[in-house]
Amino acid sequence: MRNKRGWFAVPYVIWMALFVVVPIVIMAVYAVTTADPATGELQLTGSNFTGMGAYLSVFLRSFWLAVVATLVCLLIGYPVSYWMAKEGPRFQRVAMALIMLPMWMNFLLRTYSWMSILENNGLLNQLFRAIGLLDLLGVDHIQMIGTPGAVVLGMVYNYLPFMILPIYSVIVKLDNSLIEAARDLGADGARVFTKVIFPLSLPGILSGVTMVFVPSVSTFAISRLLGGGTQMMLGDLIEQQFLGGAYNPHLGAAISMVMMVIVVLCMVVMNHFGEGEEQAVML
Amino acid sequence: MKQSNRIGGRIFIGLTFLFLYLPIFLLIIFSFNAGDSSAVWKGFSLEWYRALFQNRLIMESLYTTLLVSLLATAIATAAGTFAAIGLYSLGRRKRDALLVVNDIPMMNADIVTGVSLCLFFVAFFQGWGAFARWFNGVQGVVELPERLVLGFGTMLLAHIAFNIPYVILNVAPRLRQMDKNLVDAAQDLGCTWMQAFWKVILPEIKPGIVSGALIAFTMSIDDFVISYFTAGSSTSTLAMRIYSMTKKRITPEVNAVSTLLFLSVLVLLVLNNVREVRQERRAQRQDVRPPSFFEKLSMRLSSPAWKWARRGLAGAMACAFVVLTVLLTGATSSQPVVNVCSWGENIDEELITRFEDETGIRVNYQTAESNETLYSLLKSGGADYDVIVPSDYMISQLMEEGMLEELDYSRIPNFALIDQRFRNLPYDPENKYTVPYAWGTLGLIYNTSMVDGEIDSWGALYDDQYAGDVLLIGNSRDALGVALLYLGYSVNTTDEGEIREAFDLVADAGRRGVFQGKVMDEVFQKMEGGNAAIATYYAGDYLSMLDNNEDLAYVIPKEGANWFVDAMCVLKDAPHYDEAMEWINFIASTDANLANMDYIWYASPNTEALERYPAYYQENSEDGEPLDLELYEIMAPPAEVLERCEMYTVLPPETRTLYNDLWIRLGT
Repeated sequence: MRNKRGWFAVPYVIWMALFVVVPIVIMAVYAVTTADPATGELQLTGSNFTGMGAYLSVFLRSFWLAVVATLVCLLIGYPVSYWMAKEGPRFQRVAMALIMLPMWMNFLLRTYSWMSILENNGLLNQLFRAIGLLDLLGVDHIQMIGTPGAVVLGMVYNYLPFMILPIYSVIVKLDNSLIEAARDLGADGARVFTKVIFPLSLPGILSGVTMVFVPSVSTFAISRLLGGGTQMMLGDLIEQQFLGGAYNPHLGAAISMVMMVIVVLCMVVMNHFGEGEEQAVML
Repeated sequence: MKQSNRIGGRIFIGLTFLFLYLPIFLLIIFSFNAGDSSAVWKGFSLEWYRALFQNRLIMESLYTTLLVSLLATAIATAAGTFAAIGLYSLGRRKRDALLVVNDIPMMNADIVTGVSLCLFFVAFFQGWGAFARWFNGVQGVVELPERLVLGFGTMLLAHIAFNIPYVILNVAPRLRQMDKNLVDAAQDLGCTWMQAFWKVILPEIKPGIVSGALIAFTMSIDDFVISYFTAGSSTSTLAMRIYSMTKKRITPEVNAVSTLLFLSVLVLLVLNNVREVRQERRAQRQDVRPPSFFEKLSMRLSSPAWKWARRGLAGAMACAFVVLTVLLTGATSSQPVVNVCSWGENIDEELITRFEDETGIRVNYQTAESNETLYSLLKSGGADYDVIVPSDYMISQLMEEGMLEELDYSRIPNFALIDQRFRNLPYDPENKYTVPYAWGTLGLIYNTSMVDGEIDSWGALYDDQYAGDVLLIGNSRDALGVALLYLGYSVNTTDEGEIREAFDLVADAGRRGVFQGKVMDEVFQKMEGGNAAIATYYAGDYLSMLDNNEDLAYVIPKEGANWFVDAMCVLKDAPHYDEAMEWINFIASTDANLANMDYIWYASPNTEALERYPAYYQENSEDGEPLDLELYEIMAPPAEVLERCEMYTVLPPETRTLYNDLWIRLGT
């Protein structure tokens, strides 16, 4: 089949050019232009980028919350993957299915389920009231919705499977003889972990971190639903410019470009650590 | 030590699953709630399941979600496998370069993919429109559609575009592992390439294809962001429907639909698990299973003698697919339609059904959040509306930009019923573009059980005393307008200093933590549930909230307020102009106005309806109780109240830019 079926790739190359490359080029054009309010003609300008300093706090908040969410996901996801990989095949299969299952419900439903829990009169506050915690603290309710914590919680809840799946798939394929060899050579449990298991699972961690960080930094539905509109993130800022209350697609495109570049830079730096390792494949 | 480690591990995994599933179980439990709250249990009932199956909007969006996911998965799996084989036939350098491009949609944030595709489609539509006009001009044989809009097709393309990379990513390793000599060997032994593909390549890469398809389907069904930007206004997936519902009153119908989705996926998973376990056992026992009917069929079909049958079948299936698609689109488009966009909670939905029954015109009813978001929707090319119901100042702005079509008043006889007070208003001085829909005031709503004493000033919105309990209204014109009023300026000022002062007032209160959130229709659940104490909102909506929470009070503060008229207009080049006229005439009738007034609690501009409403209310109330005239005055305020209120006028473009700019900054 060598070289004879190369033309099979041609339709896809055209497709990619049309639906991947051209849209990004159009976005870049939008980012460096502005529409004249009177005539609607496009004019070249750099003002979309220079004026972005005003949104520095949004950039910082987005990256900060996304980093926290990614770390929490890693702290929960790694042990789960590690211990899961040690169980029998039956257990593993059921556990994998259970981790995937919520993803087939759509992430907005999952986020919505937290809304009714975190409201000021929501289930959690009712529980606190019933056990007397609120009286103890002398407050009417504990403010949970609309806080950065609620947004991070929403991110962790939604994207945790994206952390578990790649790490698990790497750990489960680890060559057991390497671990045995390390033991035979006198390494204790902790050393086996830090010197053998952890370095070998790095590709999984890297792809897990990518898969959690990117959607977290750019989300707008989670911050909207659980942040109550007070925790504006980059995604909200972009959405506002296109379909929200402040129509300016040129600024929106410029912010998208900047976000894209920063995210790609982060990825390049990170992949540098895992040099030569191939991206772990989900499942 | 090992044993305890294992138990600890299991406990940790168990807790993680509890974290993943507890919210879902709560969601499921509250789908059986008799009340309409997601937090207060009022007893068991199946009411919401019944309501779900009668809710056309949710059922349609569920259908759209499943259809787009299945179609996108099928197409992306076939195309991705095909492309992966092609990629692996290329030289290493070319292949690696292409795989980098292939990674872009996966590396990019959803919102970047969504936004760039949206811009791409809109640019394409503009180019297409120019081409179609030219083409239709030079020849008269084929008529090309000049106006294309975002819809199901663009959303499907977007889904395919983000699914293909996942399929390739899964198929590629399998191809890499495959011994390439196998295909050569098969061909040396006399197979055609096609046969080699079916008998050698496909079985080898099948696990990759299956997991690729599975991931593609998962991504599709889990997607919200990309659909949101590429589906336009007339198509909604379930996620989009829920997103727009969370902005209003979300009902346990959503819990019911989640439960059904969850259970169906669960059943599928269990079945799959059982099947796999059985297969494994069989593999352990090493018994050879006789080939099933389908396997025999496919073996028979792949022999060279059946070549023509194969090609014929493929052709027939392709034809059937095309015919089916045409029929389906034909069936839906042959019925006359009118696309209406209004606000949330702004119509008695029975009126829609009544109109559909009377005229046979299907109403596609959408809602926008605020005048500003409506404008964004219209500008971004995603909207496919005929009739819109913007407020006064936005009407002026749309007229200025030439986006409205003149109405044919000869076909709207009910316009005669509109009160003189609401004709020829400043936004449409010659009354050529609009038929008023409703009017009212913007005021301050507060919960008397959460606030000591009476409130009579907008100052309460910025008062530390109520920190964390105030809801800022979620659109720039109202939020800054109210601040301007408090400072004693006109809501229509163009003085940058005054506007900046108003902005500082709001921003400063925001920094001090006075605002709990920035809301539009979320205000209903927040105020009704006692989750916030003070809000700025519209009189009619206050009356709806009052039905659910008696503690709420409404004031027009001493600094004055805004009064507004929402009016129906038709967009330029609306595809369903005739149906739009019928809809407007129907809505302007006294009957419709009475029904609407009774449902949405906004005052009607129809003279007869205004006069007859108190009697109508009494007739329709359960125990013949008369209308509370104090409430009626909130709904339809008398002249002396309106005198204290100012109507918005359209602001010049520079001021609008300033508003937008300041508004975005408020969130940061």
